[in-house]
Amino acid sequence: MSQPSPQGATALALNIRGAVKHFGGARALSGASLAVRRGTVHGLVGQNGAGKSTLIKLLAGLHTLDEGVIEIEGQAQDTLTPHLAEELGIHFIHQDRLLVPTFTVGEALFLGREPRIAGTPFLDRRAMQRQAAAILDRYFGIRLPNSALIADLSTAEKQIVQITRALLHSPKILVFDEPTAALVRREADILFSLIRRLKEEGITIIYISHYLGEIEALCDTVTILRNGIDVATLAVRDTSAAAIASLMIERDIEEMFPKRTVAIGDPVLSVSRLSSPGKYHDISFTVRRGEVLGVTGLLGSGAKELLRTLFGLEPALSGEILAGGKAVRFKRPSDAVRDHLALVPEDRRGNGVALDLSVTENTTLAGLKRFTRLGFLDPARERAEVDGLIERLQVKTSGRDALLRALSGGNQQKVAIAKWLSRQSEIYLLDEPTVGVDVGSKVEIYKLIGELAERGAGVLVLSSDLAELVGITDRILVLFRGRVVKEFVSSDTSPDAVLAEATGSLEGRRHVG
Amino acid sequence: MPSTILYGGASRGRHLLDHLVRYALIAAIVTVFAAFSAAAPTFLAPANLQSILVNNFTLLAIVAIAMTFAVSAGGIDLSVGTAIDFASFTFVSLVLAGQPVPLAVLAGIASGALVGVFNAALIAGIGISPFLATLGTLFIGRSLQQLLTNGGNPVYLPPAGVPEAFRFIGHGTVFGIPFPLVVVFLVIVGSGVALSKTRFGRVVTAIGIQTSVARYSGVAVPAHIAVTYVLTGAVAAIAGLILTSTVTVYIPSSGNAFLLNAIGATFIGTTLSPLGRPNIPGTVLGVLLLSIVANGLLLTGLNFYWQQVGTGLLIFVVLSISFINQKAKRRA
Amino acid sequence: MSVDVSFTPTLGAENAAPQSRRRSWGGQAAAIALRGGSFVAFAAILLYFSLAAPFFFTLGNIGNVLGQSAILGVLAIGLTVVIIAGGSNVVTGGIDLSVAANMGFSAAVYASVIQLGYGDGPAVLASLSTGALIGAVNAFAVVVVGVVPLLATLAVMNVVAGLELVLTQNTVVPATTDFLSFLSAAGPFGLPVLAYGLLAFTAVATAVVQFTPTGLRLYATGEFPDAARAAGLPVRRLIAGSFLASGVCAGLAGILSVSYLSGSTTGAGDMLLPVVVTALLGTVFSRRLVPTITGTLLSALLVGFLVNGFQLMNISSTLVNGVQGLLIILVVSATTLLRRQEA
Repeated sequence: MSQPSPQGATALALNIRGAVKHFGGARALSGASLAVRRGTVHGLVGQNGAGKSTLIKLLAGLHTLDEGVIEIEGQAQDTLTPHLAEELGIHFIHQDRLLVPTFTVGEALFLGREPRIAGTPFLDRRAMQRQAAAILDRYFGIRLPNSALIADLSTAEKQIVQITRALLHSPKILVFDEPTAALVRREADILFSLIRRLKEEGITIIYISHYLGEIEALCDTVTILRNGIDVATLAVRDTSAAAIASLMIERDIEEMFPKRTVAIGDPVLSVSRLSSPGKYHDISFTVRRGEVLGVTGLLGSGAKELLRTLFGLEPALSGEILAGGKAVRFKRPSDAVRDHLALVPEDRRGNGVALDLSVTENTTLAGLKRFTRLGFLDPARERAEVDGLIERLQVKTSGRDALLRALSGGNQQKVAIAKWLSRQSEIYLLDEPTVGVDVGSKVEIYKLIGELAERGAGVLVLSSDLAELVGITDRILVLFRGRVVKEFVSSDTSPDAVLAEATGSLEGRRHVG
Repeated sequence: MPSTILYGGASRGRHLLDHLVRYALIAAIVTVFAAFSAAAPTFLAPANLQSILVNNFTLLAIVAIAMTFAVSAGGIDLSVGTAIDFASFTFVSLVLAGQPVPLAVLAGIASGALVGVFNAALIAGIGISPFLATLGTLFIGRSLQQLLTNGGNPVYLPPAGVPEAFRFIGHGTVFGIPFPLVVVFLVIVGSGVALSKTRFGRVVTAIGIQTSVARYSGVAVPAHIAVTYVLTGAVAAIAGLILTSTVTVYIPSSGNAFLLNAIGATFIGTTLSPLGRPNIPGTVLGVLLLSIVANGLLLTGLNFYWQQVGTGLLIFVVLSISFINQKAKRRA
Repeated sequence: MSVDVSFTPTLGAENAAPQSRRRSWGGQAAAIALRGGSFVAFAAILLYFSLAAPFFFTLGNIGNVLGQSAILGVLAIGLTVVIIAGGSNVVTGGIDLSVAANMGFSAAVYASVIQLGYGDGPAVLASLSTGALIGAVNAFAVVVVGVVPLLATLAVMNVVAGLELVLTQNTVVPATTDFLSFLSAAGPFGLPVLAYGLLAFTAVATAVVQFTPTGLRLYATGEFPDAARAAGLPVRRLIAGSFLASGVCAGLAGILSVSYLSGSTTGAGDMLLPVVVTALLGTVFSRRLVPTITGTLLSALLVGFLVNGFQLMNISSTLVNGVQGLLIILVVSATTLLRRQEA
């Protein structure tokens, strides 16, 4: 790879200007710009839904712009395709590693451009192994056994293989999308030193992360996205993680959160010293009737896994859970539901509602026993219940028989919650309840959460939207790398303070080391 | 998820294409019917219509309904034939041994259900994919029958010694209606109610459409899947009893003959439904279509062997329309 | 639990993308045990028959088994290619239920062409083109129309089986030519030519599937289509190609069956399920527990040796079906439980 010329070092490798992108009625990008100088490490941050992934997919040629310009190496590219992006030397290191699990490292590295034994149509497996070993040794100083399959590798090793695949194509721009989320610290350190080496070799790096400490330590420049637009591009040495965090957060939506006064009652869910090796450690907390407890943490913080354990989706190794005052150990979701727990999962279309079932069928699925007599469904009672809930939750639908497919995301989410109201559950676990929901529905969902608490339910909200979390909860637990690092009283804190804990920006320097 | 492939899902059924597909299929039945009436004068004769129902329709309808249960739960049952055979063998053996016919009937249905229990253990218990589990069952069933029959010899009932009750199942009439038709009517109504009017049917449908949502809703998914396969075996067994009584012989592994048409009818029915779900009325219409085509082709004097080509093409076209329709919908 | 579980432990049951998961030592040991166990079982079966029936372990008998396994083997190898490219989930993934009917029809075409007075050359051509054409129809239905392979090939199977009946009027169409006699005769060392044919065909198929870039790409397409697309592979073309290959294999098997039976007979459809089981069982003979050509050959030979051994010992060879059924349930249960433990 050639030395960057003095003039080239200042030129822009990538220049996106005024990017606008709509999906249906929703606006994902509203005039975002991103200018990346050649040979630098450029951070890209923003809360979920700020437009990061849309911007990156535009660059990958997976979406096309509605308005705006993409310039790569000074050349305007208005018809970017995945293939063309690759030709231009743009490569992506994805969160989900696109590697065939039953392939050897060599096969995975060379798939699509396999070396052949000269003069034959046959694969040169030996050359593949040799070249793979050489390049892995050169960049990472590691050796993987020739016979190792991708499925046998650790997450970090898989990531290394993916990066190596990109390096084989002599990339000009490498985009890292949340690369450390699944890595342990030592593995992350290896990655950071590699990224610095790649930078020295003149490769331009775009680095997307929620860990602001990493941005501080690794990047030259950082662009902050909010609501589909770039609110600032700063030189990292002139700013701080706290300053970046405050730019990421929306200021003027506090009126969205309905205030309420609810008497806090008895504990409905108590967790003590709950641990699951490699996921979370020694977690203890209590949710009371009428209380909304917030939980937040980045990918890899263990918050997701904790919620799964509470609903019987994965086991904990040790610790205790009390639901409604009784010690429980859920082996499967049906156990949790029996003890009046309810989960509104993040993957709404995968797990929350069935798009090809009707509003009625979705709504009564969890509590179907209430609408059954001697095994037969009681359609009249079902109709009454569903119509009542449609009315109460303001579900916009052509009727109770409409398929969920025909409803908007926000209204689908209301049905996902209505399911548990109909089941008369008492402990609500809400996982990112407003992801992919329009602003109007968001407010209605917040109201609904308040109502649940008023009626004496215990509510646990897991969210990465911190303004929302501070707005609707009573207390907030922050998880970082598997442990509760901080508990806030929501009325005494700010999204910035929560973000600082969640991103580890206070210990960021130590982490990147 | 098999469900995603089986159910494209309509959005309110208002798409023009949707209507076209549904009405085109119903129109197909009518057209086929009319064409055969014109081509073969005997087609519309009451005797022939009854023959369509008794000879072509009855057994396939029962087997296809059994299949519809498994498909509703998002699976498939390749061993319906095994359930038919086991029921038939048990039935014949007990009657030969001089046991009362009602007992033999119950035992026959129980042995069909037993095949379902085996499938349920593999699918709901261990988590094997239904296709592979029931394929394994089919193979084991075949060998077991060979063992039980000394290498595959048919078990005949001596024409003289057949109890009247035994003959009645296949040949009797109730108020002039052939008994098998009465049975198939009851099976259709019973299954239709079970699948669309009961909690069990609702839950099974939900599992078939999106297993994970059912699981996340606290539904006992394995238990429902288990019951579904047991039910599939038991219903298929009924066809075994009628078949045996009609021909007064048990022929090892003869039940498999129904397998492919049962799958075909079930999917024709799925295509017919406005929601794209497996359903009993749709399956029955599918069986009716296949029966009419089979009978009509025979009557029109067209080469007997064209029948299979015709039904095959029919299933092919129906599936293609259904999937093109789904693709169009996904794009919309 | 999830009702759709793929055959090999590649994809997570709940997630579209394979989960990163380091196999536990126990998991790896179990995988080795499963694979080692199948080889040991194979060896034990051979050993048992050799001791029980002295004639079993003679060159002549082994040659016979190879020859008798040729038709099943060629068909199963074709199906294996489809499973490799389509993925091992039998419902949504790759399956070709039309192989056996295709073979029957191709055989009938061959015999009919001979009956019409043409020579072996045109007959071979007709038979192979028939197979390829049927494969092309499958490919069209799956790749262009978008019908799931299980249902598309089921419908095609019905049509093809019907066409065979139409062509032969459900009768035996005899065909004897020099070429056919050569195929069914004994070759060098007194072994059947069909045995050599099977070995040669396996060698060619193995070379293509296991040792060329195309083969590697087929695996990527079947196991992780997103990864294949990300690597710029023509996924649709590869899947279509696998159905075409399977069709040609069926055409070839048709020729072999005409020679083996001195004509075309009915009942080819009965071969279907044994072929499916043979191809699926073959995965246990591969290091990575994926479908391979050599694994399928071994699986076909296992069936062949079982039938042969049972015959030599005067046990009803239909019991082989039961053994196969048990094996498939055992193997799939083992892999399913293995993966569950790993997850």
